[in-house]
Amino acid sequence: MRLLVLGAGPGGYVAALKAAQLGAEVIVVEDTEVGGTCLNRGCIPTKALVASAEAIHKAKKLKDFGVDVSGEITPNLSRIMERKNKVVSTQVKGIRSLFKSWGVTLIEGKGMLLTPGKVEIEKKDGSVEIVEADKIIIATGSKPAQIPIFPFDGEHILSSDDALNIKSIPKSLIIVGAGVIGCEFACIFRELGTEVTMVEMMPGAISTEDPEIARLLEKELKKKKIKLMTEVKVERVEGQHDGIHVGLAGGKELVAEKLLVSIGRSLNTEGIGLEAIGIKKGSRGEIEVNEHMETNIEGIYAIGDVTGGMLLAHVASKEGTVAAYNACGIEKKIDYSVVPAAIFTSPEIASVGLREDQASEKGIDYITGHFQFRALGKAHAMGEISGFVKVVADKETDRLLGVHIIGPHASDLIHEAAVAIKAGLKVRDIADTIHAHPTLSEGLMEAAEDVHGEAIHVPKPT
Amino acid sequence: MNFPDDLKYHREHTWVKVSGKKATIGITDYAQDALGDIVYIDLPEIDAEISKDAEFSEIESTKATSSVIAPVSGTIIEVNEDLEESPEIINEDPYGKGWIAVLELTDPSEIDDLLDAADYERYIEEEAK
Ligand SMILES: Cc1cc2nc3c(=O)[nH]c(=O)nc-3n(C[C@H](O)[C@H](O)[C@H](O)COP(=O)(O)OP(=O)(O)OC[C@H]3O[C@@H](n4cnc5c(N)ncnc54)[C@H](O)[C@@H]3O)c2cc1C
Repeated sequence: MRLLVLGAGPGGYVAALKAAQLGAEVIVVEDTEVGGTCLNRGCIPTKALVASAEAIHKAKKLKDFGVDVSGEITPNLSRIMERKNKVVSTQVKGIRSLFKSWGVTLIEGKGMLLTPGKVEIEKKDGSVEIVEADKIIIATGSKPAQIPIFPFDGEHILSSDDALNIKSIPKSLIIVGAGVIGCEFACIFRELGTEVTMVEMMPGAISTEDPEIARLLEKELKKKKIKLMTEVKVERVEGQHDGIHVGLAGGKELVAEKLLVSIGRSLNTEGIGLEAIGIKKGSRGEIEVNEHMETNIEGIYAIGDVTGGMLLAHVASKEGTVAAYNACGIEKKIDYSVVPAAIFTSPEIASVGLREDQASEKGIDYITGHFQFRALGKAHAMGEISGFVKVVADKETDRLLGVHIIGPHASDLIHEAAVAIKAGLKVRDIADTIHAHPTLSEGLMEAAEDVHGEAIHVPKPT
Repeated sequence: MNFPDDLKYHREHTWVKVSGKKATIGITDYAQDALGDIVYIDLPEIDAEISKDAEFSEIESTKATSSVIAPVSGTIIEVNEDLEESPEIINEDPYGKGWIAVLELTDPSEIDDLLDAADYERYIEEEAK
């Protein structure tokens, strides 16, 4: 069986490797660089910048830790970018060598479906090659969505792609959209010394998260002197000699050196031949798939951002695995019941399972437990006490339904909860498990205990 | 613990010092002691309207996060910006350098609902029981 994978992001490259492991002959077509958005313009480069931002933050607090430094602490942007690029290129090499090792053929160029078994590839050198395949996985991903009245110019009006490659630290930055990407960049730039103002149409930042978590993030942003304006709409953007002028509905005007637009992603479903072969798309242009990740056309699968789902790298990868199995004749269904998600703001945020509103929607009688990191010795030892763990549980059965964390290492802490939910464990199971001391993981144990009003490190309720 | 006589006290452990139509507000010695080391205060904004008995600020200490309740209603005309960088001033001097905000009183008669130093001290002794 010959499989062609269109796009080598975390969806496509994982699908390719899985299919190769299952014995398929695999050809991957990639237009830019293996690793896709995630590795080249998303998850990994942002986290490399977050690591530099954290280093600056820690350096500024060295005195608190009893370390004297002489001289000023100043970010060196070109070195920060070099480090980031090195992190990315190492991972890119890793994927390329995995392809080699599993015998996956990589064709660099832009692919377009001609028929359900034929793909035309416009290669980097301008030549065109037509490749035939028995099965095809479409994994073309997404790109930054722009606002038509002020498109990206790469210089002053930036996309997240541009922001990852800036040449100098802007004195001031306006970020349109206080979602995950906007908030992550706000924290990064603020630590670099930029004055950051965020403009959001919704009533708050990261509006898809648990409201208590979102509220604490807003407070933490305020602490950093990141200005967040909510329920405002940008009406006008103009470049003038002194910077970018942003006109808001209601007449107010903001001025900054640069503008970052992070309002969402637009799906790469154009120009890849979907119409020609009649692949069905939904209302947002997303490719429609069934639980086997198969499109309406037999033997053609679609995975990752292009299916318009959760827009998460690990979801794309899991979908890639499922598609690869099915393409190779082994039936597998996608299971979205447990999808942890992390936001790399400072502090970090992570969640898995149901929020309160989702539990109510399902008609579940639920109960919550909370635990503040500041009540943990480890958090104090680390000097990172902001944040909490929140547990949502089924009141009747005691089953763990959801966990929401804001605080240090939230993105690593969430997986205990993910496994527990996947296994259908009760809150009692977590509370009764001995957790090592002193660790941040004690936070989840105590939040689980708090569900039953039994947490140790909380004062008696008044 | 210290409760100056020239101040008025709210049961939620805030104090007011009135001069004419203006009032300075802050948290009491008892409150700062109960909170422990203060690491952050979410200062209100200038021109914000605050109302008596409602939260107008939030204080974070190494132990807890706690709302600060307005002892009187009014419009914020000044905030203690020193607290932004050094919130621990509240621990050191809750009635002096640790003041939180100055406001223009909406209804000066609200002052009459507040406790004087002796009553407040008695109140917290009662509460502690
Ligand atoms: C700034 C930022 C930060 C992010 N941080 C996180 C995070 O921390 N965690 C997380 O889970 N997710 C994160 N994401 C989201 C994550 O990057 C995406 O969900 C993920 O990359 C989707 O994978 P994909 O394989 O579907 O598509 P993509 O990664 O977009 O890959 C698609 C690939 O297909 C190629 N392609 C497109 N069209 C063609 C064509 N016609 N022919 C050949 N190749 C083509 C593209 O060049 C690209 O390489 C972030 C995104 C951004 C923008």
